[in-house]
Amino acid sequence: MGSTAALKELQRDLENKANDLSKLQKDIAKNHQVRKKYTIQLGENELALKELDLLNEDANVYKLIGPVLVKQDLAEANANVRKRIEYISAELKRLDATLQDLEEKQNSKKEAIFKVQQRIQSLQAGKGKA
Amino acid sequence: MMIFSNFGGKAALNGKSTLHSEAVVIEREMASRGAGVGLEMEKMSVEQLRALKEQADLEFNLFQDSLNNIRTATARLEIASSALEDLSLRPQGKKMLVPLTASLYVPGTLDDAEKVLVDVGTGYFIEKTMVEGKEYCERKINLLKSNYDQLLEVATKKKSIADETGAILQAKLKQLAPIQ
Repeated sequence: MGSTAALKELQRDLENKANDLSKLQKDIAKNHQVRKKYTIQLGENELALKELDLLNEDANVYKLIGPVLVKQDLAEANANVRKRIEYISAELKRLDATLQDLEEKQNSKKEAIFKVQQRIQSLQAGKGKA
Repeated sequence: MMIFSNFGGKAALNGKSTLHSEAVVIEREMASRGAGVGLEMEKMSVEQLRALKEQADLEFNLFQDSLNNIRTATARLEIASSALEDLSLRPQGKKMLVPLTASLYVPGTLDDAEKVLVDVGTGYFIEKTMVEGKEYCERKINLLKSNYDQLLEVATKKKSIADETGAILQAKLKQLAPIQ
């Protein structure tokens, strides 16, 4: 009798852990997506910066703001793009740390689930014999 | 003044950055899987082999898509480049039809073809001379070509892994069949 209750509890625990694991995996997938987006933006900004660097002082730079092309100062455009690159790099680093953290949690969750499964199996084996 | 759009660039950039980020993701996966791919495959069960092969096939397909994107982008850039070339030959004041939308053109005259506006990404446009514009196209095309080559290398490696996995899977299945 005691073992049936223990069995039920273990199974509930297993369910909970499985739910946690799937939530972790969803978070990891979302992290990947956001990372992808940021990486693409970073690449685009770096290309733009390279082009801007190749320019002479007197070349005209325009920025597309909505439907309007607005003349920009070269120095200002450079500063803007650089700042954006910095920001995106910082975001990416932050996402990296989060991802590692999530992956660690995922691994430990998997181990915990495995242990619970083992206990369930041994309990069931014990019950079977009895 | 004419505007030259970065249409090729964005797609190619997506190709390049996707390549980069995918390569990073894949390296991580392989590292976490304990990449002893050749050695461990022998010990893996049929199920795991099947899953591995599916994964490798999926990744290879992704690479194929990226490769196609880059090819398209390169083609568009080459069209842009030849259009620029053509434009530079036209005299000033030449009558032309200017597209306002995809289906609406208005008659106009060619003003100064010496200056072009180049879209360099993230909403920035740079005014360049015709020569610089051509150089820009050249540079972009070369960049895309090198990305394409890099991607092709990675893709072929992935394909060979997928094929190897498939072969080992077949061998395993054959081994199991006579026992049954």
